[in-house]
Amino acid sequence: MTTRKPAKKSAERASGLPYFSFRRLPGGAVLLSNDAGFTASLRAADFALFSAGRLAKGTPLHKELAAKGFVRDLTDFEGCAAACSKRNAFLGAGPGLHILVMTLRCNHKCLYCQSGALGAAGSRSDMSRAVARKSVDFALKSTNPGITIEFQGGEPLLNWDVLRDTVLYARRRGRDLGREVRLALVSNFSLMTEEKARFLLQNEVSICTSLDGPADLHNRNRTYAGGNSHAATVRWLKYFNDSAAKQVPEYRAFKPSALLTVTKYSLGREKEIINEYLRQGLSDIFVRPLAPIGYARKLWPQIGYTSAEFAAFYRSCLDYMIKLNAAGKKIRERNAVIMLEKIVNGSDPGYLDMRCPCGAAIGQLAYNYNGDLYTCDEGRMVGWEGDDLFRVGNVMKDSYRKVMLAPATRACASASNLELQPQCSRCAYKPFCGVCPVYNYETQGSLWGDMPSNERCALSMGVFDALFGLLAKPAGAKILKGWVTP
Amino acid sequence: MKPAKTETIVFSSALYSAEAVRLAAAVFEGRAAISLSKAAGGLRADVTGPENSAGDFANEALNQQCRLDLGLKNSRYASLLSTKALLSAAGDKPGRR
Repeated sequence: MTTRKPAKKSAERASGLPYFSFRRLPGGAVLLSNDAGFTASLRAADFALFSAGRLAKGTPLHKELAAKGFVRDLTDFEGCAAACSKRNAFLGAGPGLHILVMTLRCNHKCLYCQSGALGAAGSRSDMSRAVARKSVDFALKSTNPGITIEFQGGEPLLNWDVLRDTVLYARRRGRDLGREVRLALVSNFSLMTEEKARFLLQNEVSICTSLDGPADLHNRNRTYAGGNSHAATVRWLKYFNDSAAKQVPEYRAFKPSALLTVTKYSLGREKEIINEYLRQGLSDIFVRPLAPIGYARKLWPQIGYTSAEFAAFYRSCLDYMIKLNAAGKKIRERNAVIMLEKIVNGSDPGYLDMRCPCGAAIGQLAYNYNGDLYTCDEGRMVGWEGDDLFRVGNVMKDSYRKVMLAPATRACASASNLELQPQCSRCAYKPFCGVCPVYNYETQGSLWGDMPSNERCALSMGVFDALFGLLAKPAGAKILKGWVTP
Repeated sequence: MKPAKTETIVFSSALYSAEAVRLAAAVFEGRAAISLSKAAGGLRADVTGPENSAGDFANEALNQQCRLDLGLKNSRYASLLSTKALLSAAGDKPGRR
């Protein structure tokens, strides 16, 4: 007779610790996180006790950790599963964002442009009416119940007639099919007129533009041979803001939004930039880092910066915004809002760049002017540079299903899976983060990238460090949580 | 600019699979010339390229090996996530086929 030796209890089992990740934050606190998306911030001494399995039972901290799934024997598995499911609800959807590149032409020559824009003359790179309508039909095949069609470019207003027709067509098709269709326009406003603005408002097209800060900074980044880019931007921001403030019974007028692209010239000018946003009646500011893709890659020594420089800039922005909020002024940072939606509310804000797997094709599609389909707008840009790795089909030739299961779609879904990324799989920020296969490919030569030396990873870490650092302080936490709670 | 020089690294088969080193060589296409050959106890890589190429190549090989090891450990959960996302987007239900 053989006897079986009793299984040796692992140190992990003996200490009662479930699987978790941790990160030492600047300032000494230690952040814990788990796959359900729960987090806890511990003092270093408490973390030492916790990780040794010697945290006293019944204390408030022990109760908090137990409720969040950090004490194995007291873990509410159903609760954790429900939290996991809520956080990953996007896995059951499909592409919700459909970017239509109405033209490659643009009348601006921005330093950091990654859209592959051509000059304003000629129309060979304009999307035709047939391709635009086919693109709308294709988008409506998405399994996602609510879709957004975003008109981009180049400068989409350069192809106004087709844009106008596409808006009407999308509205009609949406009504016919009983589908929710949101329409959005990204424009530099330089070609906006009263007539166009009225049409966009009447058809409930939400408006987004770029605002890089005060006039001198904005115009330095966004070169416009035809005039003053900043002046056009603020003029139409006011128009759309006023329309949203008035509202009329016939349609919903949305508040306009603006995007900030941070270049080296922005560093040190945080307060001026934020004050400019407030001056223009904007209550959200999206502090977006520059990516070394497209023109920006060629000009990187002139306009680029390190992840540490961006992190310092970002932290200064947050500090100033918190100060303004404490003084009663309403302004929020969009990156923070997106992350806080995940961290505080445990829900999916629908941000396609920071999720697992990323939204390449399965969350968004970029429709080039000629009907070619790409995993995302960044993937389209790589195609513009002559490498069609991220092309997933063409609206005139390929079926929706074929596109969703195209080799590039599958490769991106696999490469952006954080469970298969060496550093990410154990990162405390994994539940809230995501990697970008296009960025990895452009900067490191493979879809997977190499996270320890990946600048986007370092940049995201900086943003998360800043957020969790502020969340650990009661005053900062109160304001930040207020950004995502009604 | 410093001229390209050749450095040699031997990747021990006790730590590195040939697949990981070959994947790293593929990633380095265009950045450095990588010549792989069999060596005692492993795989020999002759790396010709700009300064730090050999060190960077060794990092990439390590990255690839870690990725392969992780794939063995996490593949079931990782596949679940990717498959659900892909099939939901395509309009299928996971497990239908």
